[in-house]
Amino acid sequence: MFRRLVFEDSAALFTIAAFITAFSIFVTIAWRALRMKRPQLERFERLPFEIATPSAHDAHKSEPSA
Amino acid sequence: MSDRKVTLEFNDQIVRQFLLATIFWGVVGMLVGVFIASQLNFWQLNFNTAWLTFGRLRPLHTNAVIFAFVGNMMFAGIYYSTQRLVKARLASDFLSQLHFWGWQAIIVSAAITLPLGLTRGKEYAELIWPINLAVAFIWVVFAVNFFWTLARRREPSLYVAIWFYIATIITVAMLYIVNHLSWPTSWTHSYPIFGGVQDALVQWWYGHNAVAFFLTTPILGIMYYFVPKAAERPVYSYRLSVIHFWSLVFVYIWAGPHHLLNTALPDWLQTLGMTFSLMLWAPSWGGMLNGLLTLRGAWDRVRTEPVLKFFAVGVTFYGMATFEGPLLAIKSVNALGHYTDWVIAHVHAGTLGWNGFMAAGMIYWLVPRLWNKPLHSTSLANLHFWIGTVGILLYVAAMWTSGITQGYMLNATTEHGTVLAYPNFLDTVLTIKPMMLMRVIGGGLYLTGFLLLAYNVWRTVRTAEPVNGTVEVFADEEGVPVEERLGVLGTMLSPPVLFSVLGVGFACVWMFSGQILSILGLVGLMLCVIIGYAHFESRGKSWSGWYDKLLVNAAPFTILTFIAVAAGGAIQIIPTVIANKAANVEDRREIPYSPLQLAGRDIYIREGCYLCHSQMIRTLVPDVLRYGRAGVPNDYSRLGESIYDHPFQWGSKRTGPDLAHIGGKYPNIWHFQHMENPRSVSAGSIMPDYPWLLVNHTDVAALPSKIDVLRKLGVPYPDWSKDQITASVGAEAKGIAEDLRAAGAYVAPDREIIALIAYLQHLGTYEKINGGPPAAHAAVAP
Repeated sequence: MFRRLVFEDSAALFTIAAFITAFSIFVTIAWRALRMKRPQLERFERLPFEIATPSAHDAHKSEPSA
Repeated sequence: MSDRKVTLEFNDQIVRQFLLATIFWGVVGMLVGVFIASQLNFWQLNFNTAWLTFGRLRPLHTNAVIFAFVGNMMFAGIYYSTQRLVKARLASDFLSQLHFWGWQAIIVSAAITLPLGLTRGKEYAELIWPINLAVAFIWVVFAVNFFWTLARRREPSLYVAIWFYIATIITVAMLYIVNHLSWPTSWTHSYPIFGGVQDALVQWWYGHNAVAFFLTTPILGIMYYFVPKAAERPVYSYRLSVIHFWSLVFVYIWAGPHHLLNTALPDWLQTLGMTFSLMLWAPSWGGMLNGLLTLRGAWDRVRTEPVLKFFAVGVTFYGMATFEGPLLAIKSVNALGHYTDWVIAHVHAGTLGWNGFMAAGMIYWLVPRLWNKPLHSTSLANLHFWIGTVGILLYVAAMWTSGITQGYMLNATTEHGTVLAYPNFLDTVLTIKPMMLMRVIGGGLYLTGFLLLAYNVWRTVRTAEPVNGTVEVFADEEGVPVEERLGVLGTMLSPPVLFSVLGVGFACVWMFSGQILSILGLVGLMLCVIIGYAHFESRGKSWSGWYDKLLVNAAPFTILTFIAVAAGGAIQIIPTVIANKAANVEDRREIPYSPLQLAGRDIYIREGCYLCHSQMIRTLVPDVLRYGRAGVPNDYSRLGESIYDHPFQWGSKRTGPDLAHIGGKYPNIWHFQHMENPRSVSAGSIMPDYPWLLVNHTDVAALPSKIDVLRKLGVPYPDWSKDQITASVGAEAKGIAEDLRAAGAYVAPDREIIALIAYLQHLGTYEKINGGPPAAHAAVAP
């Protein structure tokens, strides 16, 4: 359809190259995440709770007034 | 640092504004959705009125639910959570208000222009160029306000929700700008600078990632903040959220070509799109499980608390939709599902289930806190949940059934695959009509549930006092300590970045160059990996230290995220733009439209015909049997046949048949009658009547400017004068009008129906070539 200017002969490589690239990134990030220290993780996990807001229970406990 | 504390008041007024806008536009968008779904069942609901037809209202529905409903919801969630996560009030009240009112003005402009038929003719990118500029400006306002707030933060660490917001802001900006690059022909019209296959690739790079980075990543950020808050326990695994973020951001951007499988898109792009789509399973399900497992220990409350119900089902639908997406991206499954209602089912599982329910959960959680009053009725919220859930299930099940039926019927063959089993397209339409009716019922139920939310919120806030959240902070508390700061140089000249860049560079040389360079590239890549590993083993602390610093430095984090998302687009788009152009086409090359045909094409785009009719005969036997021309072997669509189309019109849905090779199949009178009253020539058709085409005058005056712009964009038009163009239009229109008159239809040559017939009769015409540059074609010379 098109003149074979680019990549046509390398088409078979793409699935492999794509897989290797994505897998490398996945492994790197997974390794990095697994190496995070417990105190560091707990610090991050607690961030949404550093500022108190009324609990969902408090906010919903009243049924409607007429 | 002194011990003096000050009370910081958050800007929750802007959150309330966006929240109320979410509800309002949600009702509008869903109402239009139910209406256009009804039009597919009862064509009379088009009311023979131009601005009420399906083709003009469908973009209004999609734009309203995406950019108005989810957009406003996203801004509310981002502004609420960001202020609290970084312990800083939004940087500028003025920018916040400019953001809000600018966004609402854009939505109102869209709601006016789209029904008027002012469109760019690209799905989810229909808005005309002045509105595009406004969107870009307001997005920059949002970005400045957001990053300025991060710069003033008192909390050094960036929670994972903030990561998702950063990725959203920079990626949407990149996608929106590239896909909306246009050349104006007037104040209300423009042509995209990309044409044909280039436009197709760019459009679906944008379209797919509009789903990814407008409908998914910001909502994931919202999930990571609001689900733990509602469940009153931390996210299940912060480690998993880190993996979720980076793998999703990197992989998502590559998957766009799966919208163009089995088409004329070069095969390497199709393969790449399919492969990366399949890889999306892992991060998506990692995130989904992380969200669901955050509810661990709180499942007993799911039974009674509507917020948790909505979040649990919303996240479940995220899992379902992100399972179905990669499934549909498998080329053979796509051959069945593409262009059918299966895709509609998939999209609505995501939008109604994931976006809609996450929005509802967030609204029910926020309203009592922003107005300091318990929700008017928890029972009503629970009722909303059940009505909405049943509505989604009805909708999605109906569209699954409809889509798979369509796929099977349209692809079915007999006589050893040589004859279509259902040659009449309308057989399929009539078969799926009950499913289309069930969709209206499902959508209606979902809308009813959302109206209950609107009522519930109104009853809650009408007598309540708005309240702003506060936090006590140290007066001179700094965000990021000086020793933790990481400048641009510190970001880019770090071992992980340097070895990654070198590795990718060597890998590209290895894969894409000649023999000697290829070997050098391979050797370089191997050395890079070995030296990188050795450096990591000996200086591992500098690697981990750099990453830890990255987590508290917003600007370097943003730069690296941008590189991650830009890579996928660049690798796909740049080679396509360089190689896939008219000069390189083999086999078939499109003959440029005559001036009258061009006018007809703009009418076709104005009426939104592309929303129901594709122009792409796939490389599949049933497609060729159904839409190919008799006597023309292997008559599938070649890439060159639409190479001058600005915008491309390959379409994404076949509510009606493909039109790529419709030219010459029917006489002019058939098209005339079909537009005037489709049922007069196609019994059972659900297409609207288009009586105004017989009355409106063709806009010949706009043609010189349009042709001039197309010439600048590479379409080989001669340098015609205005008089030559007018003469060409007159001569061609006269011929069609006389032909119609001979067949018994009387219509003046200057009416739009004539231009549209001229366009339709041109579709599928091409020149047979063996390479070489295109020349101005004699067939289109006036």
